[in-house]
Amino acid sequence: MRVFTIGSAPARGMLAALTALALGTWAHPTVAADAPSELNLFAWSEYIPTSVIEGFEKESGIKVNYEEYASNEEMLAKLVSGASKYDLLQPSEYTVEALIKEDRLQPLDKSKLPNLKNVEAWYTTQAHDSGLKYSVPYMSGTVGIVVNKEKVKEPVTGYDDVFKDAHKGRIVVLDDAVEIVTWAMATQGKGPAQVNSENVAATRPVLERWLPLVKVYDSDSPKTALLNGDVDIGIVWSGEGAILVNEAPEKFQYILPKEGAHMFIDSLAIPKDAPHPEAAHAFIDYLLRPEVSRKISEEFPYTNPNVGARKLLSDKERNNEASYPKGSPRLEIFRDMGPTAVEIDELFTDVKAKSAS
Amino acid sequence: MRQADTAFESASGNRRAPRLTAYLLLTPLLVWVMAFVVAPALIILVYSFGERQVLGGVTLGFSLRSWARVGDPIYLAILWRSVEYAGITTLICLVVGYPVAFVVGRASERHRPLLLTLVMIPFWTSFLIRTYAWVTILKSEGLLNSLLLQLSWISEPIEMMYTPFAVIIGLVYTFVPFMILPIYGSVEKLDASLIEAALDLGAGPWRAFWKVILPLTRPGISAGVLLVFVPALGLYAVNDILGGGRVDMIGNVIENQFKGTARNWPFGAALGTALLGAFALAFWLTRRPGRADRAAG
Amino acid sequence: MKAARRLLEAHTGLVLFFLYAPILVLVVYSFNEAKLNVVWKGFTLEWYARVWTDTGLVRSLQNSLMVAAITTVFSVALGTGGAWLLFRYRYPGERLLQTLVFLPMIVPEVILGVSLLILFVVVRLELGFTTVVISHVTFCFPFVLAAVEARLAGMDPALEEAALDLGATPFVAFHKVIVPYLMPAIASGALMAFTLSLDDVIVTYFTASAASRTLPLEMFGRVKKGVDPSLNAISTVFIGATILAVLTTQLLNRRGALTAPATQGGEKP
Repeated sequence: MRVFTIGSAPARGMLAALTALALGTWAHPTVAADAPSELNLFAWSEYIPTSVIEGFEKESGIKVNYEEYASNEEMLAKLVSGASKYDLLQPSEYTVEALIKEDRLQPLDKSKLPNLKNVEAWYTTQAHDSGLKYSVPYMSGTVGIVVNKEKVKEPVTGYDDVFKDAHKGRIVVLDDAVEIVTWAMATQGKGPAQVNSENVAATRPVLERWLPLVKVYDSDSPKTALLNGDVDIGIVWSGEGAILVNEAPEKFQYILPKEGAHMFIDSLAIPKDAPHPEAAHAFIDYLLRPEVSRKISEEFPYTNPNVGARKLLSDKERNNEASYPKGSPRLEIFRDMGPTAVEIDELFTDVKAKSAS
Repeated sequence: MRQADTAFESASGNRRAPRLTAYLLLTPLLVWVMAFVVAPALIILVYSFGERQVLGGVTLGFSLRSWARVGDPIYLAILWRSVEYAGITTLICLVVGYPVAFVVGRASERHRPLLLTLVMIPFWTSFLIRTYAWVTILKSEGLLNSLLLQLSWISEPIEMMYTPFAVIIGLVYTFVPFMILPIYGSVEKLDASLIEAALDLGAGPWRAFWKVILPLTRPGISAGVLLVFVPALGLYAVNDILGGGRVDMIGNVIENQFKGTARNWPFGAALGTALLGAFALAFWLTRRPGRADRAAG
Repeated sequence: MKAARRLLEAHTGLVLFFLYAPILVLVVYSFNEAKLNVVWKGFTLEWYARVWTDTGLVRSLQNSLMVAAITTVFSVALGTGGAWLLFRYRYPGERLLQTLVFLPMIVPEVILGVSLLILFVVVRLELGFTTVVISHVTFCFPFVLAAVEARLAGMDPALEEAALDLGATPFVAFHKVIVPYLMPAIASGALMAFTLSLDDVIVTYFTASAASRTLPLEMFGRVKKGVDPSLNAISTVFIGATILAVLTTQLLNRRGALTAPATQGGEKP
């Protein structure tokens, strides 16, 4: 009866322990009571500092449930499923526009947002939500070129300077079809507002020239490849650029492409079916306070739309050109591009597949 | 293997026709599969015939638009590449993992659970942190290059990051435990006397392995191949971080339809359904009734 | 034969080194002074101090462990029971069921996540721990089932017969004879299920609520700010604790085996 002794005691012990752990924890699930003093926040991962949320909770007595997402599309997927009701979202500008078109947002009650006056005037006139009827800018940023000056000596001013044969295998770009296609359009003199089937198709030869030169596609942390010295030049979010410049100012430089840079505006908006719109308004207004908004800048070196907060920044922060570009560069925001997005995706996948080998 | 064959014959001869109790016992599995495998699969199938909505999501209907794109040579080429990567990964995992499973399975009973757990513990850290650790090792100014330079085996750094080599390393790393564990289950039950008998009869270790051990552990191998190849086919995160996302895997393309700006759920659903269908067909055909992986046991 | 054994053991050592090399790097870099954990700057214990106060990390680790533990128990039950029944009885439509069971392994995570999310909405199941566990069990239990099936393949049927002949009911025979025989496969299946559950991101994103965030979700969220060494620190603490626990169990078992020899096991085959 050898068989009877095969079952190993340690393995059994492990299972028993797991069962105990499972039963023990099963007993007290977290209760999600629908108290009036709650705020169901659905925002980008880690984008709102814990200290800010804790400060708001303490002051208002409202409990914040922070659920996070990693992209606008991830957020939309969960939102349209209707699985949970959210009070406050943090969509980027093109997503704000799409949400407004689909009648998913409720108009803001500006009487509850006295701190809205702190927002720079430029932001109130943008096409995705002119007059800020539905959304309030949280942070904004650009997409620009980062150069490792130790490796790239010749001047870089635009997209075409990045995609040169000399840089083959030394380039990182965002892993984002819409971004890359609109860069190509920019070199053909067309802005992001001119996205249509014809203009998208016209970028094919440009992409066919560009993509074989690229070494890394990364939207999450393009700075890593640059910091590691695996690439020398890249087109990245300004926040990533700012971190690189802060890390090694003598080495990295952030440049806005002369053809026109894409600007993104991460905003705050309240869904139509929000259970706690009062709390959402209170939180928006809290975030708009200069001293609170300044804390966000500390964690995220993007462009702060809050004029009051900018005054509180240190010189080093204000002089970081990735966060606050000098002069008056050409900045353009994305628009919701509807079904053309599918064509962009298809074109990009196709060219990318053919450039590899 | 006359003996094993008779054993198998009687084993299959002993499989009973289920009575009511046996049906009742199967109910939990059946319910689970119907509710959480079949129902979601049907949702995806229905979605694949729908139309894309602005915010993501699907307008139900009967459109073949997404299916027409599935057969496009671009996507077939991408699928083929995924199959190649998964295949190479599986092969390396088998060669690397089998001896480990053997050693663990033949270790003294006291040590087996310890060794088994040791194999698995590294994977109780987050995938992300593990993979970034690989970046630290493989990058051009990384640990491996420094070591090789120090030893003067190379004169300048080798480019390893963002190459297929790095992707394969990452994939093998991720999946090798899923090869080791099932094979361990087969090795562990090998009868020591059987191996000794083979050796006594004058078979060298190699012959004993080839003629006795390997056939007896075949069920473990086929389980391992299943558990490595199939998930490796859909994995793309390793490819993104260590390969720099330069080539798309089928997983990337599907993921993009849901999480990229295209928001084209129906197309993603169609690609997913096609993948499921191909897998189900292959699985169905390789698991012939009765025999299948029980054969060599 | 001895040489062959040496060779095998050397190989195993190398593979273990391969498995632990990144873990070693991860541990070393948990002491890195640099906030952007890419280049080594200097030694510090700061991140360990921070981990304890980082409620997000600690809570998500608790959530992860809880989900993984429950998932493992359910996966083992479903996988072992299922494999045994499918082995023992000839059900009609068995091959179809066999195929369906393994579908969650091939389906891309994002599709599994989205389709389960839709399903939960349709049946009005509120997102939370339950939905996360359900989805984890769905993609974990096939691993247990496959491991147990492999072990069952070619099992000597005399085993169960003998027990039945001795007057045991099929349930007792299963419990006293089959389960011990399957234990190595159950243990490896449980290990795989636990590991897979502990590591999942995408399916969890779609099926979790704010309160049921797991550690991998929390970690992925932090990439944008740069992976700072506190993530390495919490991984190191967790790994260290696990290894300690495993070694302690090992020692205790050895002692237990000495005082009460071989009631359940511990005997050399």
